[in-house]
Amino acid sequence: MPEIEENPNLPLGEVERLVELLRESGVGEILVRRGETEISVKAKPEAPVAQQAAPVAQGVPEMVEPETSPEMEGLHAVRSPVVGTFYRAPAPGEGAYVEVGDAVSAGQTLCIVEAMKLMNEIVADVSGEVVEVLAEDAGGVEYDQPLFYLRPEAG
Amino acid sequence: MVSKVLVANRGEIALRVIRACRELGVRSVAVYSTADRDSLHHELADESVCIGPPPAVSSYLNIPAIISAAELTGADAVHPGYGFLAENARFAEICERVGLTFVGPSSRTIAAMGDKAEARETAARAGVPVTPGSDGTCESAGEVKRVGAEVGYPLVIKASAGGGGKGMRVVESEAEVEAAFLGASREAGATFGDGSVYVERYLERLRHVEMQVLADSHGTTVTFPERDCSVQRRYQKLIEESPAPGFPEEVRDGMMEASERLVGSLGYEGAGTVEFVYAEGEFYFIEMNTRLQVEHPVTEMVSGVDIVAEQLKVASGGRLEIPPEALTPEGHAIEFRINAEDPGRNFLPQAGLVEVYNPPGGPGVRVDSHLYAGYRVPPHYDSLLAKLIVHSRDREGAVRRGLRALDEFAISGMETTLPLHLAILEDEEFLRGGVTTSFLAERTLESEGGLLRLNKVSV
Repeated sequence: MPEIEENPNLPLGEVERLVELLRESGVGEILVRRGETEISVKAKPEAPVAQQAAPVAQGVPEMVEPETSPEMEGLHAVRSPVVGTFYRAPAPGEGAYVEVGDAVSAGQTLCIVEAMKLMNEIVADVSGEVVEVLAEDAGGVEYDQPLFYLRPEAG
Repeated sequence: MVSKVLVANRGEIALRVIRACRELGVRSVAVYSTADRDSLHHELADESVCIGPPPAVSSYLNIPAIISAAELTGADAVHPGYGFLAENARFAEICERVGLTFVGPSSRTIAAMGDKAEARETAARAGVPVTPGSDGTCESAGEVKRVGAEVGYPLVIKASAGGGGKGMRVVESEAEVEAAFLGASREAGATFGDGSVYVERYLERLRHVEMQVLADSHGTTVTFPERDCSVQRRYQKLIEESPAPGFPEEVRDGMMEASERLVGSLGYEGAGTVEFVYAEGEFYFIEMNTRLQVEHPVTEMVSGVDIVAEQLKVASGGRLEIPPEALTPEGHAIEFRINAEDPGRNFLPQAGLVEVYNPPGGPGVRVDSHLYAGYRVPPHYDSLLAKLIVHSRDREGAVRRGLRALDEFAISGMETTLPLHLAILEDEEFLRGGVTTSFLAERTLESEGGLLRLNKVSV
C-alpha cells in the first residue's frame, strides 16, 4: 500500500498545507477546487453563528468538506492528460470501451480524448472495477480532469 | 467584433486583457496550468480551461492544448499577451489556419520582424536609420572584421534570432573578433536553435527610446509619443516613462516618421513597438516588437487610449478612431516594475506566499497586478508581480507621486524591487532625467538604515 502522503489522489497533504496557510495568512477562508474535489478551509468566525461542530479555540481553523470525495473512499481517478474532446467509444455508432461495473486491467483503453484531430487513447493505470464515468461523451475535458473512478483490485 | 477571446497568458497581462474584454462586452476564456489554480485570471475570466502541468513548455507554450481549449470553449479569437507565444509566428499561423483570429499582426510579419538581421534590412529599405554594421548576417569572423574596418570599433555581435542579451558580445578591437564571433554564435545556437549573428557598431551612453504604434486593416496608422526605457538591469527594463525627459522635438518627430515608414512598409496590423537607441543626437532602429508590451500603460496614461481595447477592435476588422489630441502627451507617466527579486542579493528570484498585499491608491495611481494576500507566487514563471504606473501634470509631480505610491505599496512574504525603485527616485541623475542604459551598472546598491541607496561608482 502506498503511503497516504504519496498518493496524489488523497488530498490530505493539501488540506494540511491549506490549514497551515490559513493560520499563517490570517485570511478567513481558502477554497480550492481540483476537478470534482473541492476543499474549503475556514477560520472560525468571530461573530457567533450556528455551528454543529464543537467549539474550537479561537483562531484554529475548522475544516469543511462540502462533498465527500470518492477519492477518500479508496477510489482511483483516471485523469485526462490533455485538453480535448472525450469519447467513450472508438468510433460513432460503436459500443463504449467500458461500462460501469466492468472489470478492467491496467493498460486497457477506457476512452479517447481527441485534441487537434489526434486520438489519444486513455488507459487504466490500475486494474479494478469501473465505478463511475465522470465526463460526458463528446464533451470537452481539461487537463487533469477526472474521467473515471475505478475501485482498484485488492492486493 | 470578436465574441469570445481566449487569453493565452497568465499573471497581470491576462487580467489586463480580460478587463478590456469585459468593458467591450466580449466574453473571455482563461487558460491556466495546475500551478495557477488559485490565480486571478482563472477566477475573473468568464470561462477557464486547465491546459497542463506547471512547466510553461507543457502549458502556456503548449500550442495543441491552447488550440484545443479554444475549440472546446468556442472562442473565436486568441490574445497572446506578451512573452510566451506572443511572437511565435508558428502559433499565429496555426491560429490563422484553424480560423481563430490572432490578436496581432500576420504570422508573416511576426516572422519577418522576429529575425533581427532581416528586420534591420527591412528597416533600412524603408528608410529608417539603422546602426552602422553588417548587411544581414555575418557568416565568418572575417566578415565581422571587414565590418569593423568599415564602421570602427567597438562592435557588438548579436544573435539574429535573439533578444534579451543572449548570444551578444561586445568587441573592443579586431584581436577579440574570433573568440567573440564563436562565442556569440555558439550561445545563439544553444539558446535559439539558430546560430546566425549580425554586427553593429557598439554605441555607448545611449538611451532606449521606443514608439508605440497601432495600425488597422484599413490603412490607418497612429504613432504615439515616445517611451523612455533606459533604466534597465541586464537588458531588462525596470522603469519606463513617457514622454522621454528633455527629448529634442526634432528627434521625436524623426522617430515618429521613421516608425510610420516601417509600419507602412510592413502592412502592419495591430499594436507594436518600434525600438530605437538614441545617442549623441542620432537615433537608430534596434528592433520591432510585434505585440503588446509590458510598459503599454505608460502610453495609455498620457494618451487616454485603451491600447488593448484598440487591439481587439482592429483584430475584429474595425477602424482606429484615435482623436488627434491623444497623440500629444497629457502630463507625464512613469511605470515601475515590481519584481519578485531580491535587490540586496543580486536580484535572486523569489517565490512563496504573499502575506500582506496593500497596493497604493489615490489620484494618478494605477496598479496592474495579479496579486492578493494569500496568493502563492509559483516558482515556474516570470518574476513580475505588479506594475505601478503614476501620472501627473509634469515629471516632477510624477516623481513625487511615485515616491508616495511606492512608499504606500506593501508586499510582504518575499523581497521585491520596491526598495530599489525608491532608491532610483532619490538619485540626482535620474531626477535630472535623460539617464543612459548604463545608469544601474554604474551604481552600487548599499543598505543604509534599512533603506537602499544607489552610489555612483566613479569611472
